[in-house]
Amino acid sequence: MSSTSRPAIDFERLTVRFPDRDRPAVFEVTERIEPGEVVAITGPSGCGKTTLCRAVAGFIPSLVPADVSGDVNLGGTSVLASDPAHLAVRVGLVQQDPDAQICTLNVRQEVAFGPENLCLSPDEVNRRVDDALRTTGIEHLADRVTTTLSGGEKQRLAIASILAMEPEIILLDEPTANLDPPGAKGIFDTLRVLRRDEGRTLVIAEHRLGPLLPLEPRLWVMDEGRIVARRATRRREDLVELGLRAAWPRRPGGDAPSSDALVALRDASFGYDERRVIDRLTFAPAGGEIVGVIGPNGGGKTTLLQLLAGLESPQEGTAERADGLRIGMIFQHPHQQIFERTVRRELEIEGALTDEGRAALLEEARLDGFDEVPPLSLSLGEQRRLTVTTAFRTEPDLLLLDEPFIGQDRHNAAWMIGRILTARDRGGAVVLVSHDVSLLASLCDRLLFLGDDVIDGRPAEVFARLREAGAEAFTPGYWEGEGGRP
Amino acid sequence: MIRRGGYRSGVRGLHRIGPVGNLLILAGFLAVGLSASVALKLVALGIILVLVLVSDSAPREFLGHLRFVAIFAGVLFIAQVLSVREGETLFHLGVSITEKGLLSGASMALRFLVILTSSFLFVSVTDPDRLARVLIRIGIPYRYGYVLILALRFVPFFRDELRTVRAAQRIRGIRTSVRSLSGIRRAVRFTFVPVLVSGLMRVDSIAMSMKGRCFGLYPTRTSASPERLRLTDGIAAIGAGVLVTASVFAGRCAWL
Repeated sequence: MSSTSRPAIDFERLTVRFPDRDRPAVFEVTERIEPGEVVAITGPSGCGKTTLCRAVAGFIPSLVPADVSGDVNLGGTSVLASDPAHLAVRVGLVQQDPDAQICTLNVRQEVAFGPENLCLSPDEVNRRVDDALRTTGIEHLADRVTTTLSGGEKQRLAIASILAMEPEIILLDEPTANLDPPGAKGIFDTLRVLRRDEGRTLVIAEHRLGPLLPLEPRLWVMDEGRIVARRATRRREDLVELGLRAAWPRRPGGDAPSSDALVALRDASFGYDERRVIDRLTFAPAGGEIVGVIGPNGGGKTTLLQLLAGLESPQEGTAERADGLRIGMIFQHPHQQIFERTVRRELEIEGALTDEGRAALLEEARLDGFDEVPPLSLSLGEQRRLTVTTAFRTEPDLLLLDEPFIGQDRHNAAWMIGRILTARDRGGAVVLVSHDVSLLASLCDRLLFLGDDVIDGRPAEVFARLREAGAEAFTPGYWEGEGGRP
Repeated sequence: MIRRGGYRSGVRGLHRIGPVGNLLILAGFLAVGLSASVALKLVALGIILVLVLVSDSAPREFLGHLRFVAIFAGVLFIAQVLSVREGETLFHLGVSITEKGLLSGASMALRFLVILTSSFLFVSVTDPDRLARVLIRIGIPYRYGYVLILALRFVPFFRDELRTVRAAQRIRGIRTSVRSLSGIRRAVRFTFVPVLVSGLMRVDSIAMSMKGRCFGLYPTRTSASPERLRLTDGIAAIGAGVLVTASVFAGRCAWL
């Protein structure tokens, strides 16, 4: 790594405005990041974190069209005047979705991909590959097919692939957002190694700040494209002072479920190819209860929801549903369940609405005035509110939610929690899949852990058994201090 | 079990042969599939099934993939048998069933089966990364080689997205039908658009991932683990040669 007195990254009134947006995604950011420094960026969804990272990596505007003014300099080189392929030897970006950044089918070849593009000698390529695999702790995966890795392993592979380029600066854009708790823990452990042994400049956009504290990052809080707060953080109290450590509200009451099971799986099994993801599971959510589902990536959580919804049938065992059961389902990505050309038409897929009824729904979802707007042009948070609104329109008896909080800020998450509690109080059964164990601990009446073992019970009991089994990452204790989402 | 398909790693049978050898074998089977000989196609189909059994292709899963191929081949056979009137009439089933109709139906169904099963087998035993490396080594520009890898990586992605979108349609009570023009338009809008949006988002991320690792910076690139031709590739080449030769001669021999 080169040593220089120049800042590693120098923002000069950087403003980025996307063509179809009224306000800039990043507005007049002027900051410096010194070599070897760790900067954590946090803020609500859509606040500009991803845009800032992509701008530093040179992808805006060359790959992502946008109007850009100001500049970003990397050790004196203007990013805006450079091809991202030229910048890649100085700066590397790890994206949010581990699946969406792997180009090959073999771990070793994936890590070698970058150095091979640099036309380095095979010996040098292999040295870099070995170093990167060792640093990220995935040497044992070197000969594996990439599609067989867990989410956490894939994300560490993505980091190794960037490390093999030996850049001075590594940008990580919510690298743990899609990962199960052990996968996320593995990423935070890797970041500590990078900080301790490598001394690289790290810029990390993250919602979970607690596990970043050992890196002693300088924290930037972004909102509406601006950096609204900045300070060094070492202790949890620093996060409290910035208002970033508020706990989730505890669920009210604690009443027993109001009715019998609305749907029941008995000894149900289901698999893909030759692997069973659900194995002789008996599970029956009752009306008036919120059941949280946790477990490792690929552990069968989404499949469970599909079995409960009747979208798949058990290959062995049975699934029984109450007569006339109304089912609402929220999928992981909002665009997967948006079909119409306007918000108004989208809301009326389940049946026509009066003008007043539609206006009330839109107001409740903070989407008033969006009637004729194409739903796919909405922000991620707005799309999520729209899909929740359509799912709740029919007042479902059984509500199935698959990672609804990914990429959502605290305001959106709180709005969704309110809707979920309303559904429960109405007597509906809610089954909620999430990796956010702190949130589930606050919200759920019951937890189901789907892993090598299945654990079903009250949250405290399930967490106790997970701790006994050495799976601390699945308990709120490990994430103590992260404070949920800002 | 729900079957997902695609390449499976392994060490037996065709998995021991390099991508070039497997490509040659595929070419041999395609030549047989395009030939006129029913007997030769039947033999080729038998060989393919044996190769499935001796390779690490998960035979049950493989045959599961072929269910719809087999059904479609059956439909082709019946359509040909019922529509071809030429040749000696063998019996009546409301319509005349002719010798030529039977042969034509068998030929078309077997052609379909041989081409599809050999292609599925090729995909299941050939590591696309290694194939791309070979293609690059024999002179194909590396950008095109990686287009192949990415295309193969996108197949399971689109299949999974399609399943999710259809599930979302069912949950929301959306019915799509392709029996009318308006139905097709509705199906395209409700299915194609969400899948396309997912695809475009994925393409953006992959493009950034590749560009962010200097892809395309230079006209050439290093290969740290270059593919070399092996003895098994030579044996595969001989096998492929036999298949091609047989398909050429079969066209000249009426008894085949």
